[in-house]
Formats: sequence, structure tokens, C-alpha cells
Amino acid sequence: MAAKPGSAPVTYSPNLGQKTRPPIFKDNDLDWVRPDGRGFHQCRPAFFRTGAVNSASGSAYAELGSTKVIVSVFGPRESKKAMMYSDTGRLNCNVSYTTFATPVRGQGSDHKEFSSMLHKALEGAIMLETFPKTTVDVFALVLESGGSDLPVVISCASLALADAGIMMYDLVAAVSVSCLGKNLVIDPVLEEESYQDGSLMLTCMPSRYEVTQLTFTGEWSTPDINEAMQLCLDACNKLGKVMRTCLKEAASGSQE
Amino acid sequence: MVGLSVGEKHFIQGGIAQDLRSDGRKRLTYRPIYVETGVIPQAHGSARVRLGATDVIASVKAELGKPSALQPDKGNIAIYVDCSPTAAPMFEVGRGGEELSTELSVALQRCLLGGKSGAGAGIDPTSLVVVEGKVCWDLYIDGLVISSDGNLLDALAAAIKAALSNTGIPKVDVAADATSDEQPEVNISDEEFLQFDTSGIPVIVTLTKVGRHYIVDATSEEESQMSSAVSISVNRKGHICGLMKRGGVGLDPSIILDMISVAKHVSEQLINKLDSEIAAAEASEEES
Repeated sequence: MAAKPGSAPVTYSPNLGQKTRPPIFKDNDLDWVRPDGRGFHQCRPAFFRTGAVNSASGSAYAELGSTKVIVSVFGPRESKKAMMYSDTGRLNCNVSYTTFATPVRGQGSDHKEFSSMLHKALEGAIMLETFPKTTVDVFALVLESGGSDLPVVISCASLALADAGIMMYDLVAAVSVSCLGKNLVIDPVLEEESYQDGSLMLTCMPSRYEVTQLTFTGEWSTPDINEAMQLCLDACNKLGKVMRTCLKEAASGSQE
Repeated sequence: MVGLSVGEKHFIQGGIAQDLRSDGRKRLTYRPIYVETGVIPQAHGSARVRLGATDVIASVKAELGKPSALQPDKGNIAIYVDCSPTAAPMFEVGRGGEELSTELSVALQRCLLGGKSGAGAGIDPTSLVVVEGKVCWDLYIDGLVISSDGNLLDALAAAIKAALSNTGIPKVDVAADATSDEQPEVNISDEEFLQFDTSGIPVIVTLTKVGRHYIVDATSEEESQMSSAVSISVNRKGHICGLMKRGGVGLDPSIILDMISVAKHVSEQLINKLDSEIAAAEASEEES
């Protein structure tokens, strides 16, 4: 963004011009390359590490492309709010963004619904009856938003829960798909998300083959839904394996 | 929270298993829908929808505004839901009322406004533009829960559809001599109104799974027994415009696909019923 020589000096401002360009796809333009050079059905390489925060009962750090997320889990501990007796445990989730996570400062506060979405994605996987009368707090922080933030948060949170030793039926892996024109692209980056015609997010427990959360936006026909769900389930399966390897590594590392 | 005894729980679950629910309905039957339009004179359009004891109001207000720089050819639409503590004590501020309001608002935005690019939206945002990049209508859709007896989302979506059918946006004349840089002068007509095309607005069908079966239009007693619920919005063409799982335990993917096809089937009847109710409500409003 260097000013051209000879032109009047201008102050720097974010380049908004590129966002008004015409749609990326024209009908069936399959030659188009994704911003990071991936194939349409190729996920970003995933990196997971547990034990990112010392003071938490369990924590995990996840990095997929430029999306960076840290999740810490506290508890099971006494419920902060004086609530009525419950013979199952409670799950309290909170997702927040750092002010520098988004291209425009402080944009992350648009995502108020993420906390309840995270709660819904996890509650089906946790054995809440194993810690009655207590609360487990899950705090997620998006350090850098690079697209598919919520799926990364959910996968990372389930890893942090496993690290904290909370009983779960299975890890929860989450993947989203964007619909751009007639094409489905998996694990969209921020740029693709801002043009998408529709999106689908699926979270599942791979070894139980159970969907814990599913959301659609945009107009979908039944064959598209089938294709997108199959794509997501397959990707979740693979992501689940990566997450499991990360847990195994952490466990074998601590034994030595 | 609904407090139920073990006997009552068994009664509800057993009834659903035998396709005869405690109020005599079948699993896939809605409660009667009552629609009343034009209930709020201050708004550009409004409607009240009653589904059994669930009672909601939706109002549409339009204000002239400026389109965002990123999308100069689109107007802005915002949907908010307010769960008043007068409806139920659990809606009190700080006790989950705000959480529920956000959840419902996001669910409605997801189902009615389509994707980021505006594809699949129930209301065409380009129809709200008066002068591209300069003037557009900002549409504020507010839902209010007056009384809650389950299935709030479906009722709110129906109320919004009815309110939008009832909405008249004043016709705007733009002064012809406006130069390209200035904000053009506009003249809002108070006699001529433009109506929306509401045929593309989807309805939301929430399927609640109790035991091995799923039901539509659950009352709050039935909702307390749910194992999981899925809300699906379907438009007249039979396309899915939005879907979200509303919590609960995990589901097998094949069950979700089955739920989608059930929702499509149910939505046909619901759309027809709702359209005739809206037409009847509009007619009775004009008479009075």
C-alpha cells in the first residue's frame, strides 16, 4: 500500500475497495483458485496443542491457517451464581475476541451468539451427570480471526475439556462449508466467508457418528445438503484423528 | 422451567409415542394459528400471532438511512427479539432472558436474511434501495414475546411474515437535480405506500425430538421433555433457507435428513394456512 510517487501523500486507510469487486464465481468457473491455493475440498492444516495455560484445569491452543484460538477450562467447581440445586453439572461457555483479532478493530463483538452456539455444540458430548452440583467454565479467546472461527473454537474447546479430564462421550470436531455460487468450499477463510451465498457448520462426535450441532444459512436444495453434510462428516472424521493424536502425544510426553 | 412429576412426564412421553398428545393433537399437527394485523399504529407494519397460549407481536419500522460502503446496492435489515419478563419469570434480566432473546434473534436472522451475499433472503435487500450508495430504507423488525407456551421461534417467524405483508413503505421521490457528491434530497410521500413481496419469506418449523419420535409445535411441557430439537426454515419452493440444532443430545446424520424431509412436508400446510390467515386478517382490518 505504498503511496505512488508523485501522488499527493495520503494517510493510510484499510483497503475497502477490494470488497466491492464482482462475485468470484461466474456460474461454473471451476478454474478459480482459493486465496490460499487450496483445493475446494481441502482443509487447512490443523495444529493443536494442549496445556497452553498453566492455571487452568485444562487448556488447548489451535491454529488453522491464520485462525488462532486459545481455550481454557476451569472446574468442575462451585457454581458462582446462586442457582437452584441440580443433579447434573452445568456448562458455562464464553467466547470472546481480542480487539486486534479482526481486520477492523473491535469487530469481534458482533459474534454474541458464539457463546450459546459453543454451549450447544458441547453439551451433547459431555457427561454432565458425572459432576453434579458443580459448573465447568469454558472460556475461549479468538486471538486472530481468519475465517471458520466458530468451528475452530468448538474443536479446540473439546480438546481443552479432554485435557481437563472432563468426562465426554467423544471429542467434538467441527467443520464449516461455504457455498459460493454452485461450488462448495470447505473450511472457508475470512475473505470467502464475506462473499458466501450460504454456509453450513457441522459439529460431530466422529467415533459415535453423532451430530451435536448443525446450522445452515442461505438457500439450500436437498442434494446440496447431502453433499455438504457428507463433506463435513468426512472432514470431521479426519480432524478428530488429528485431535486424538495431539492428546496421545501430550499423554506420552507427560509419562516420560 | 416447568416442574413436572414423574407421572406427568410418562403421560407426555407415552402420548407422543402413541401419536396422541396431551391436548389431543397428532405429532405433526400445529395448534390453531390466529393472526391479527395492524395492531401497532405507530409502526409501518405489525402483526400479532397466537399459537395456543403462545402470543407474540412483530412490528416493522422503516427509516431512511445510508447503505453501508461495502454493499451500496442493499438496504439494511435488522431483527431483534425481546422476551419481556412479563411473559415468564425466567425471562428476567440476568436469568437467561437475554440469552434467549439473542438466540431467537440470531436464529431469525439466519433463517430470514440468507447468506452474507444476500442469496436466499426472504426479503430482497436490494428492493430497499432508493438511490444506490446514498439512500436506502433501514428496516427494523422487532419481535416481542407476550406470553410463552413453547415454540416461540415458529410463532415469531410467522408474526414477522404477517407483519411484513402488512407493511407499507412510503413512496420516496428523489429530487432530480441532485449532484453526484451530495446527499440527494428526498420527499417522503404520506399517501402512497409500497408493499413488499412476502411470498418468498420462509416459515420456520421446529421439530422437537421426544423419545424416538419428533413432534411439531411443542408446548412448554413437551419442550421440557425434549432430547433435542431442530429448527428448519423452508420457503414456498421447498428449499431450506436455514437450519439450526437447538441443543440437546447428538443426532445421527440420517435422522437429521429425515427431519428435513418431514419439515418440508409440514411447511407446505403451514405456509398455506398462514397465508390464508394473513389474508383474512388483512381483510378484517380493512373492514373495520
